[in-house]
Amino acid sequence: MKSIHILFSLMFATLIITTGCEKSFEDYSENHNLPLQVPPSLILPTILNDMPVNPGGDEDKASQFIVSNYTYYGLNQYWSGSTGLDYGTLHNVLSMEKEARRLAGNDINPYHALGLFFRAFFFVDMSLKVGDLPMTEALKGLDNPAPKYDSQKDIFKQSIMWLDSSNTLLSNFINNGFLEFSGDFFYKERISNPVNGASGRDALIEWQKVVNSFKLRILIELSKHADDPDLNIKQEFAKIVNNPAEYPVFTSNADNLQYVYNKDFNYYPDGPQNYGNNAGRLNLAATLLNNLSLLHDLRAMIFAEPARGLGFADTDFRSYQGGKSGDDISELANQSADKKISLYNYHHYYTSYTAEPTLILSYAEVCFCIAEGINRGWANGNAETWYKNGTTAMFAFYGIVDGDNEVNLQAIDFANVVSIVHFSFDDYFNQPLVKYKGDNADGLNQILLQKYLAYARNSGLQGYYQWRRTGVPTFYTGPGSGNGGIIPLRYQYPSNELSANGSNLDEALARQFNGNDDINGKMWIIK
Amino acid sequence: MKDFISFEKRGFIVLMFSLFLFLSAGAQTIQLNGRIIDSTSNAPVYDALIISAITSASVTSDASGNFSIQSSEGDALTITYLGYQDKLVPVHDNHFLEIGLAPMNKQLVEVVITALGIRKEAKRLGYSVQEVDGNELVKARESNPINSLVGKVAGLNVGINQELLATPTVLLRGSPLNFYVVDGIPINSDTWNISPDDIETYTILKGPTAAALYGSRGINGAILIETKRGKMNKKGFSVEINSSIQLNKGFIAIPKVQEQYGGGDYQKYAFGDYNSNATGSGVNDKDYDVWGPRLDAGLLLPQYDGAYDVNKNYVTTFPNGQTYTGHIEPTPWVSRGKDNLKRFLQTGVLATNNISFSSVTDRSNIRMSVSDANQTGITPNTKINTLNFNVIGSYDVSDRFKVEANINYNRQTTPNIPDVVYGPNSIIYNIDIWSGADWNIDDPNIINYWQPGKEGIQSNFAEYKRYHNPYFSSYEWLRSHYKNDLYGWASFTYKLNKSMAIMVRSNITTYDLLRTEKLPFSAHPYGDEHNHGNYREDHRNLWENNSELLVRYNKENVANSGISIGAFVGGSARRMDFSSNYSSTNQLIIPNVYTLANTLKPIRAYSFGSHLLMLSAYYSADLTYKRYVTISTTGRVDKTSALPVGHNTGFYPSVTLSTVLSEYVNMPSAISFLKLRASYANVKGGGTNSYVGTAFQSLGVGSPVGYGNSYYTPYDGPNFSISTPPYATFPGYNNQTEASSPNYVINSNVKPSSRSNYEFGFDTRFLGYRLGLSATYFQYHDGPNISNQFLSETSGLQYFTTNGGETKRTGAELSLNGTPVSSSSGFTWDVLVNWGTYKEVFAAFAGGVDEVSNGTGYPYKIGDRVDKLFGKYEALTPDGKVIHDESGFPIYLPKAQYLGHADPDWSWGINNKFSYKSLSLSFQFDGQVGGKIQDRVLRKLTEGGRGANTNEGIIGAARLYESQHWGEADYTGAYDATGTPLLGGDGVQVIGGSSNIQYDPTTGVITNYATLNFSQNKTAAQWIQDYVSSFYNDPQHTLVDKTYAKLREVVLSYSVPEKMLKKTFISKLDVSLVGRNLLYFFPKAFHDIDVDQYPGRDSFGTSRLEYDLQTPTTRSFGINVNLIY
Repeated sequence: MKSIHILFSLMFATLIITTGCEKSFEDYSENHNLPLQVPPSLILPTILNDMPVNPGGDEDKASQFIVSNYTYYGLNQYWSGSTGLDYGTLHNVLSMEKEARRLAGNDINPYHALGLFFRAFFFVDMSLKVGDLPMTEALKGLDNPAPKYDSQKDIFKQSIMWLDSSNTLLSNFINNGFLEFSGDFFYKERISNPVNGASGRDALIEWQKVVNSFKLRILIELSKHADDPDLNIKQEFAKIVNNPAEYPVFTSNADNLQYVYNKDFNYYPDGPQNYGNNAGRLNLAATLLNNLSLLHDLRAMIFAEPARGLGFADTDFRSYQGGKSGDDISELANQSADKKISLYNYHHYYTSYTAEPTLILSYAEVCFCIAEGINRGWANGNAETWYKNGTTAMFAFYGIVDGDNEVNLQAIDFANVVSIVHFSFDDYFNQPLVKYKGDNADGLNQILLQKYLAYARNSGLQGYYQWRRTGVPTFYTGPGSGNGGIIPLRYQYPSNELSANGSNLDEALARQFNGNDDINGKMWIIK
Repeated sequence: MKDFISFEKRGFIVLMFSLFLFLSAGAQTIQLNGRIIDSTSNAPVYDALIISAITSASVTSDASGNFSIQSSEGDALTITYLGYQDKLVPVHDNHFLEIGLAPMNKQLVEVVITALGIRKEAKRLGYSVQEVDGNELVKARESNPINSLVGKVAGLNVGINQELLATPTVLLRGSPLNFYVVDGIPINSDTWNISPDDIETYTILKGPTAAALYGSRGINGAILIETKRGKMNKKGFSVEINSSIQLNKGFIAIPKVQEQYGGGDYQKYAFGDYNSNATGSGVNDKDYDVWGPRLDAGLLLPQYDGAYDVNKNYVTTFPNGQTYTGHIEPTPWVSRGKDNLKRFLQTGVLATNNISFSSVTDRSNIRMSVSDANQTGITPNTKINTLNFNVIGSYDVSDRFKVEANINYNRQTTPNIPDVVYGPNSIIYNIDIWSGADWNIDDPNIINYWQPGKEGIQSNFAEYKRYHNPYFSSYEWLRSHYKNDLYGWASFTYKLNKSMAIMVRSNITTYDLLRTEKLPFSAHPYGDEHNHGNYREDHRNLWENNSELLVRYNKENVANSGISIGAFVGGSARRMDFSSNYSSTNQLIIPNVYTLANTLKPIRAYSFGSHLLMLSAYYSADLTYKRYVTISTTGRVDKTSALPVGHNTGFYPSVTLSTVLSEYVNMPSAISFLKLRASYANVKGGGTNSYVGTAFQSLGVGSPVGYGNSYYTPYDGPNFSISTPPYATFPGYNNQTEASSPNYVINSNVKPSSRSNYEFGFDTRFLGYRLGLSATYFQYHDGPNISNQFLSETSGLQYFTTNGGETKRTGAELSLNGTPVSSSSGFTWDVLVNWGTYKEVFAAFAGGVDEVSNGTGYPYKIGDRVDKLFGKYEALTPDGKVIHDESGFPIYLPKAQYLGHADPDWSWGINNKFSYKSLSLSFQFDGQVGGKIQDRVLRKLTEGGRGANTNEGIIGAARLYESQHWGEADYTGAYDATGTPLLGGDGVQVIGGSSNIQYDPTTGVITNYATLNFSQNKTAAQWIQDYVSSFYNDPQHTLVDKTYAKLREVVLSYSVPEKMLKKTFISKLDVSLVGRNLLYFFPKAFHDIDVDQYPGRDSFGTSRLEYDLQTPTTRSFGINVNLIY
């Protein structure tokens, strides 16, 4: 009987402990080390960080700006599979808007205006890599874990609409007062010369230029579908060029959307920190450097060291030769060891942690877009002026002035040697190869070449996309390219789609690439 | 077992005795008092059954072994107790009887410790357990006690990591096990806080059925540790000393390197980095491979220790006519660094001393023990000291009331342990993989590692970008570890009556840890390449309490029905608090001052904390019918804060059945005993992690350190994987805090993961009990698990955490043990053979899909093994020739291909012990068969040109040819006289070009063999460095079967005969010569790694293709002295 008593006491004691601890159970089960809510200004910089593409990576090789000559640190082969997409970033965009809505009570706030732009930016970015993608049904989380694919055309069409909405909303804020926003290290809170406007209005003015400048980029990307009645490419293009008040775009390098490096926390990927393992193993690619050299473009001496094995003077443009992407890597190793191809410029990259900012969208690109549109007859204007504006903007970006320039090269004994090289902009533009040949195919090629040179080591895959769209400039291929010596035209879809969203993927593949997730398949935008 | 007699025979003797006694009945009744003791230890035997042959009265002995029974002259008492031989004692008069019971042979111990520390009769158990005698493990010692269990238990794989303070990977039936229970109560153990000298037995509960009473913590089984208690002797006390010293010397696995080519690339090298800042420049003198010029070939090259004169220009001309001009005088390029690693490493020493004192009286039992283990590593300036203090005592307040308590304090200290993880922090990386034999480890300017005039700021070495002077690393780059570990418990047992007892017990288990790292100026590991030093601190603090109330009821032969009951009910509360913080400077200001305040840029600091509360109630009931059959059932209810409210309660049932077939079925005479058993259990996951890392790992944010080892401590706390997904926050642009939203969603109805275990087996004894064989077949049905159901990333989410996904694991274990030979001359042979196997396959996937992506073109399908490994694969012709591209390089398929599976097919251990009088010799072989691993050491040695294989066979021939001809004007690669490439000449090229090959876009295999035509490859890659580092380091060349065997231990003991000790104060003296790790059988080409570190999965249960570097492993041999007085 005693035992029964004890049993009851035990159960009773347990009951007391249990009820007394109920609060502990609830409290302990939550992770108090991390927040469940944050202000939108903490999410915005995370999104901004996802916009630039680091120089020195596979994008620089794919765009034929650089080549590797050292097997251990990577071949120059193109991809054979898939690449990362930006849905995670877009998920952050929605979260940022949700947190902003929580605080502001509605979507009439700068975060949402930027969010509309980010949608356009990242959907276009992704679609250019693979083709069709889920958009209308995407980002709904568990409400739709397997979204249907939208056509690439619809993605671009919708992106244009998002940009227009963003532009309208930003106009409204700029003209009629606005709500405070922060976390914008590209403009409002950048380290060097922040866009000051006491309340951040000036930063929104910059973002409005970003929105319309980006719209110019994607209209140009759609050049193969200029006559598509659903898209009104030409009209949309003319609208921007003709109404700068309603559709402001970048007007100088000061407007550039760019990632600025700093010496304390955010290093340029090539710098003193990795000189020892990096410097001898990478060369400039021929597609970039040989063109600069051919045009007698001083940028050659900013990017590269002379290839002294060629036997020309250090400041002779003939000393600037790149490695041919597609050559086998042992061959590149030989050429580099023999000093027949150029290494990175020591002074520019390896004496500071900051080199140059990495462009995401530049004033120069805006100029070349306008020049291309005028050349193609989409708007009236002087294409040559924009062609020259774009080119000189890039000179300015690299600190090249009209006249005498200091060029820093590494001497044979590794000392830094400063040479004065005279570089006249007029002489440059008057060379037969550079002199604008008019609003015709030759002129267009000149614009595209300068645009490609402006993309050097920035803007992600834009250099490659332009080659894919126009064939300018000519890319090198060979055994070092992989894929049987053929440059692939797209990436594969994420391999997880096969099992997580199989039937929708199959449908998208069937309508685009005969059912095969083929890296050599042609997507709509380049058809 | 010298004179062991069968049950039948014994029964007969009892019967005869009884008959005889019956005849002399009528004798006078007496009240007989006596005491039952263990005949070897003289410890009292509690609960022994004493039956009078005449009166049929039966009593049991009390805690002091005493009993009192009605008897009469001429009576005979039968004394039985589990684990001891029955004894028949004739009664002559009413004198006090001291009756010694002889324990059965170790292998035939019939009582085992089960969950919660409850002792049960082995033949009534319906599941698989295996015991290891603690005394077997304290002679040929491992620095970590759990390492000693390798090969001793079927189904238990111990991955012995020989690095100082490394935790072994313990896998039970393939599941990582980190659940240790001391004297019935769980402790939080890193396995270093247990002193092997204090352990009486290890009992391995092999699966969830055996451990179901522990709830979620027992889901993978448990290792129960029974602490040594004092043993009765005539003196009333005893002192025992156990001392060992073992030397670690003689490598059984060490990287095999070539010493004919030095550092550099493409046959060229010239040192120019006189300023040691990696920015001045020579030729391939930074971050180089070991593909430099041939040594001892008469070359003069500028080297790091050549004379420097800024006013002199020395011109070095390479064979191709290129020149290098510098200020260092060229010196002979010779192999002065032969055996650098062997010369650097030293003999390690493991010295352990234990002294224990114990005293037993009628009412009390106390044992105090101090252990000290000092280990010096084979890497200079590394060591670890563990001090362990253990006290256990019990006191019988009355015949009914017993109090027991134990406390164990453990202190681990070291000013420096090495970090061998791949990277410039690793000695192996620096000496053996990435630098050549061109520098000499014994040079004074290497040993005196600071540059003159730059002490504390700039070290001296042959290279300054990537690699480090090993002496500098060892004496300046220090990683300390200080840990206090304490556990203790107290229990109160009150016997209400013969059948019922109540027990209350409570424990604490707690540790505090400080780890620091001092990164000196001029060290430059991955991610910290500023040469400006750093200081880091990692603090962790854990406190845990388990309190329990247990009511036991035992009754044999209830109401003469033949049914016996053994039952208990209980409840427990578990409470845990954990906190950790991690701080690091961001570059130091002042060299050699290692404080957090001495930081150049803002400090980086992280903190993490968690709590856990779990309330549990459980019961166990065993019903036994005579000797024939036992049915047991247990159940446990847990309510835990580690799971979300509303779904935080789980029930874990188990049912087992055992029946002694040999009791009621006629067996062949060879079989003395046969028991069949079957069991079922279901246990749920607890929402906890076994281990915890640094605070930043717990927060799920990126590391502020880009290199080195991640150290995990035991935790068993909430993992928050199913609590509301939080934002991640981390330092972003310009060191400002940023946030990222969670990319997963939790099913609000998620239930704990589930494991069901089905187990069948038998235990048999044969050859007159000489040998026992135990066999078990088991199945785990895991699932529905809590799994991350991968969503289309286009939904914005990566995964949905919900119930789903199932796997099925099947396996078997065999264990044979016994004493095949026991002759009257004193010779005995004991043997133990263990064998275990398991295999796990997918049974269902989350979300009900029939396949999931694994990143290759071959998704996992239902029925696939979960441990499949995939990797890069060469493009081959249908007849297996490697297809080369137009430059002479092998072509690889665009998708990873299946390579094999990671889990071993089976593992085994054989232990033999031969004794003859005072001498005994025991030795153990163990190993495993099957399973694949990519040998990272070999892969890196091959890639870097340092491996011996890069100077052997056709590679060696090609390398020699290249070194002799590369500068010639028409040189385009290494070809033989017929124009066939020396490397890749047995491969083919595609006629018309490799662009003709078509691959399946999904699987990556070649689809158009029918249209491809091949010709012999006639193109040599221009540099063998490029060819070898892609071809010979791929998985086809570096993947190996994990099949190995080891002569694990040898112990040769001499026990000084008792008669020689009679006149001394010593009662027992054993001296043993011991050896461990003596022989290692593994394929020659791969002999550079000790593969026994990698038993199937890692300690998180993950299957991996490749593991990290390891310090060479050595043999260990020494002497052990064991003395009792």
